Amino acid sequence: MKRVCTAALLFVAGALAGRAQEVALPNRPQSVKFAAIGDNGTGDSLEYDIGRQMAAHHSRFPFELVIMLGDNLYGSQTPQDFVKKFETPFRPLLDAGVRFYAALGNHDNQNEELRYPPFNMGGARYYTYARRNVRFFVIDSDLIDPQQLAWIETALTNSTDDWKICYFHHPLYSDGKTHGSQVDLRVTLEPLFVAHGVNVVFSGHDHVYERLKPQKGITYFVSGAGGQLRKGDVKRSDMTAAAFDQDCSFMLVEVSGDDLYFQAVSRNGASVDSGTVHRQPRP
Amino acid sequence: MNRALRSAAVRSLGIPIGAAAALLWSNLAAESYFRITQALAFAVNDIGMAFFFALLTQEVLEATMPGGTLHTWRRAALPIVAAVGGTAGAIGAYDLFVLAGDEHVLLGGWPIVCAIDGGVAYFLVRVLIGRGGAAPFVVLMAIVSNAIGLIAISLHQHSGQIGPRGPLLIVVGSAVTVWVTRLKLRAIWPQVVIGGTLMWFGFWWSGLHPALALIPIVPSLPRSPRRQSPFSAELEHGAHDSPGHIEHALWLPVQCILFLFAFVNAGVVAHGLERGAWAVTVGALVGRPAGTLIAVGVSLLCGLRLPPGVGWRQLVVISLATSCAFVFGLFFATAVFATGPVLTEAKVGALSTIGAVLIAVAVGWTLRATTSKA
Repeated sequence: MKRVCTAALLFVAGALAGRAQEVALPNRPQSVKFAAIGDNGTGDSLEYDIGRQMAAHHSRFPFELVIMLGDNLYGSQTPQDFVKKFETPFRPLLDAGVRFYAALGNHDNQNEELRYPPFNMGGARYYTYARRNVRFFVIDSDLIDPQQLAWIETALTNSTDDWKICYFHHPLYSDGKTHGSQVDLRVTLEPLFVAHGVNVVFSGHDHVYERLKPQKGITYFVSGAGGQLRKGDVKRSDMTAAAFDQDCSFMLVEVSGDDLYFQAVSRNGASVDSGTVHRQPRP
Repeated sequence: MNRALRSAAVRSLGIPIGAAAALLWSNLAAESYFRITQALAFAVNDIGMAFFFALLTQEVLEATMPGGTLHTWRRAALPIVAAVGGTAGAIGAYDLFVLAGDEHVLLGGWPIVCAIDGGVAYFLVRVLIGRGGAAPFVVLMAIVSNAIGLIAISLHQHSGQIGPRGPLLIVVGSAVTVWVTRLKLRAIWPQVVIGGTLMWFGFWWSGLHPALALIPIVPSLPRSPRRQSPFSAELEHGAHDSPGHIEHALWLPVQCILFLFAFVNAGVVAHGLERGAWAVTVGALVGRPAGTLIAVGVSLLCGLRLPPGVGWRQLVVISLATSCAFVFGLFFATAVFATGPVLTEAKVGALSTIGAVLIAVAVGWTLRATTSKA
């Protein structure tokens, strides 16, 4: 009962706080709908605002899962921290049956998070799962050891799904001034992504939102402002397609047939970017 | 600076040139740099460096033989204690710094701060303090600290394919090396190539770092007393010129390997010092000098004696000179962390310990630590 009341209160608060909550996505019945957040686990008011906005949007765009792009919990990771920095801000979504699938970031403690049931990691640093015609590959970008690299190649090879979506913490492409592109990681991972037809990659780490122009046929998103913000941190370049660094944000995504629709939403509910990625034929 | 020291400095230029080229290239054209160096990394780090460690082991063994520069083991106790204290201080400072934050993935990186770049430390001490007991003191410290680090990284699972064939190959490789050595061939290569190859695969399949594979075969190779300190970068003449001596066979290839090692591993894209880099820097530049001085102080109270020409001023310079991890720090970093941002942070930390050179020079000059003309 208490949970229901909390959810209702948060939902109402979210609805009141949300200014626009416009969903610029088709919202088709059989599509795969998900949200993306990165670098959220602070437990402070910014994360709670994002949680409320996500809950408010969920009522209009019923996404079934949330991909977490790392730095899911900052600082200490006691059971109370999991409540404060994850369960409470996202309680309405958890109560609505939305499943979260976490990737590890540099601030995450794998000893605590891998077996934390709501993160659905199954005790693994890297893993894969699918929803209808979409397969997700969750990578631990902190340490790309030979075993993980072999696993990525095998998992990508074995996948016959229409859409291959990879996500991990450190961006291969980013115009964030603080961290920027992880080029050594790019040289390691990008050839595999290209060879095995990965369509879209999501990352965090830079506390901004950015969409990159397709690189070698792959669309890259940075969504690392789910609870932290580095205002004015984007230094636009030739590869910037869109960027937002003035407030915290999260993403809504819908995969329907050969199209992936995306929308980036700010902390106050404004749509800051949206568009479509059309699936390219496999090489 | 005397002639031998100048010669050693010139011969050691491969490492800083390689590192400078790597830093320049990685920050101007990162993608092409990483593509090339990632292709070279295995050959250089896991195969090439085996020759470096073989040569270094031989130099250490020869220096500790009767007639060798480090033979007086009665004086070895204090530098060993200093090394252990310095390493404990470095590890303690590293761990404290990491635990004060929330990046737990860095905790596995403590072996990096065991590293002392013996070449840099030896060169600094010779220049700043001069002849006397300081140089052998530093060399022994570097050997002991790096040995602790090498043992630590050896315990890191390397290939993940541990089975009986690895240890079996190590035994076979050792036996073959001893047998080939007894044939008294003119050249050293048969032992290194046949025995070394077996040992390399033995280490690989045992989960040990294969760059250490030649170390066990070195004691069975011919040797003669060495009067130059290990890490001195000075080519020893006499018996060491013989084709049957490992130094004759490996000295030049190892110089090329060290250049390549610096080139392959020192390239990082500058984004400032992140927590992993700070942790290595704090461990090396704060923890190690503090640990060294505390350990020496306690040892002196317990009755150990300082070597000739070394007082507290010189000890301060020694403790700072041994804070530079550089080449060994890069090696340990690549051994404990896989490709990724964490490794990059650790590499930046290892590179930043070059700052110890400036600090040691400044402190050495301020304390007037020179005891005799070099």
